[in-house]
Amino acid sequence: MAIRRLFVANRGEIALRIVRAAQALGIETVVAVSDADRDSVAARLADRAVVLGPAQAARSYLDPRLVVHAAKASGCDGLHPGYGFLSERAILPRLCAENGIAFVGPEPDVIDSLGDKIQARAMARAAGVPLVPGCDGVATAADARREGDRIGYPVLLKAAAGGGGRGMVIAHNGDEAEAGFHRASAEAVAAFGDGTLFMERFVPQARHVEVQLMGDGKGGVVHFGERDCSVQRRYQKLIEEAPCVAMPDHLRQQLHESACALAASVNYRNAGTCEFLYDVAREEFYFIEVNARIQVEHPVSEMIAGFDLVQEQLRIAGGSPLSVSQDQVRLTGHAIECRINAEDTARDFMPSPGRITRWAPPTGEGVRLDSHMSEGAMIPPYYDSMIGKLIVHAPTRDLAIDRLDAALADFRVEGIATTIGLHREIIAHPDFRANRIHTRWLEQVLLAERKGAAA
Amino acid sequence: MTHKPVIDNPVDQVRLLIEEFTRSGIATLHMRSGPFELLLSNDPAAGALVTAQPAAAAPTTPAAAAAVAPAATPPASAAPAAAPPVTAPGAIPEGAVIIVAPNLGTFYRAPKPGAAAYVEVGGKVGGEDEICLIEVMKLFTAVKAGQAGTIVAVLADDGAMVEAGQPLFALMAD
Repeated sequence: MAIRRLFVANRGEIALRIVRAAQALGIETVVAVSDADRDSVAARLADRAVVLGPAQAARSYLDPRLVVHAAKASGCDGLHPGYGFLSERAILPRLCAENGIAFVGPEPDVIDSLGDKIQARAMARAAGVPLVPGCDGVATAADARREGDRIGYPVLLKAAAGGGGRGMVIAHNGDEAEAGFHRASAEAVAAFGDGTLFMERFVPQARHVEVQLMGDGKGGVVHFGERDCSVQRRYQKLIEEAPCVAMPDHLRQQLHESACALAASVNYRNAGTCEFLYDVAREEFYFIEVNARIQVEHPVSEMIAGFDLVQEQLRIAGGSPLSVSQDQVRLTGHAIECRINAEDTARDFMPSPGRITRWAPPTGEGVRLDSHMSEGAMIPPYYDSMIGKLIVHAPTRDLAIDRLDAALADFRVEGIATTIGLHREIIAHPDFRANRIHTRWLEQVLLAERKGAAA
Repeated sequence: MTHKPVIDNPVDQVRLLIEEFTRSGIATLHMRSGPFELLLSNDPAAGALVTAQPAAAAPTTPAAAAAVAPAATPPASAAPAAAPPVTAPGAIPEGAVIIVAPNLGTFYRAPKPGAAAYVEVGGKVGGEDEICLIEVMKLFTAVKAGQAGTIVAVLADDGAMVEAGQPLFALMAD
């Protein structure tokens, strides 16, 4: 049954994005807000807003019972969780099912199994998706050398029992593997009482590449190409692009096939992302995890595909099959997204909440802004610091970078500190233009150069 | 306030007040302006002064406890489903204190179906008396009167969904 009234269980730009997608499909909307978000644009634009509770997320957006109670009491027959908050908590679809509400997401059991790292890896292996080469149960130094030789150096030796970086050693050859075994194993015994190690290939310069998937839970799975999200700080993505031009075509095709095979193996329903580590030197990719939700960076895929992923999510949750076949998905040009955060990059990215006194975003051909901000808007200090996403689309990567630079230069925000200036520095850097970046490039190269220049 | 606040949004004004209060070192600040009442206190026992307090959320630390009763501000809800019944402001006597819902939920005036209401208009209540229930997915939280007085108006319908901050009762303090 097609959704008639949708409950939006999120805030910020994604709440607004979902309201607009629903309105385009003629679906009524009820937006959940905390006390701090009563005046949000999504709340104003929706047919109705309901105040869940106080500003603290634990007593509003993060309380699944409160959210589903509000959805039911306001007469909604569908619920979109957005990203973050409760979007990948299986209790939310379970409560929705108990209350006759269509959840815009996968089945709860699928969320549970994909959310468990060990189960997800087993599912990936079963679907033929490549994992980082490695082995469990390394018990002696001789084992470590033999396995290291087989896996290929450098390798990472880690305590099988623990985590958190203790007992972790990188070895570049057989001698280091043996010596590393003794050291890591002794540390593991001390820390966990168990000296057993596991080993896996270490990728010193990796790119983060991910495939945008959509499944209808009726056997249909399509992909909308891949994204390259290698500009990261502390594992947080700052810039995302589509396609990943650093990857040869034949590999990209294998990447798409792997992701689709995994999604098909669980009869996946909803938008989803299969994340991979791409070892540029070896031209190999390895499975990381599946994100069973719409992602922040979905617009770059929408731009190159000319396809609205959120609307498709809503149709599928309402029981429709996929509206496109793989042949009908046409990917053209290049898209780049910058996450604009209210943060002071000169003060170690300290959040900068407050009142926006000037908000003059760029406009123009191939420029898209997904944001819930406006002049006079207040950024509350309780939630994440993202205030918008600037996306550009152009025929080639070079032209997209030019367009992005012009758009960022036109973007005027006053009253708070933002990451706009940092984005300009990143895309002006020769490494970015030449596409010589990896997941630690921002911290090891650009931010290091910045610190050097400031000193 | 000695200067005109630069912030015109009531939520932001309260936030600003809390910041000022925290900085000031004052133990308790209790203000009332028209239908608006605010209590800020570092004293856990100060809750007795205030209009509404969920029984389940008694302050356990001496952190600033705040309760806000925005009686004159209707909840930020528009159509399409039933809008909450908001009694005309004229029906609330001058000086009455508004008891608001601590969170969204279903408002129940009686402890169980068929039972008598906790309190009727004209009824006398003590500060620790429970006056209604807010239900979220079969989890019931009692709301206490917060201070002794007489209930002068019931502002929400029994069995209706109420939002966080929505007025439930008007109470004339003793």
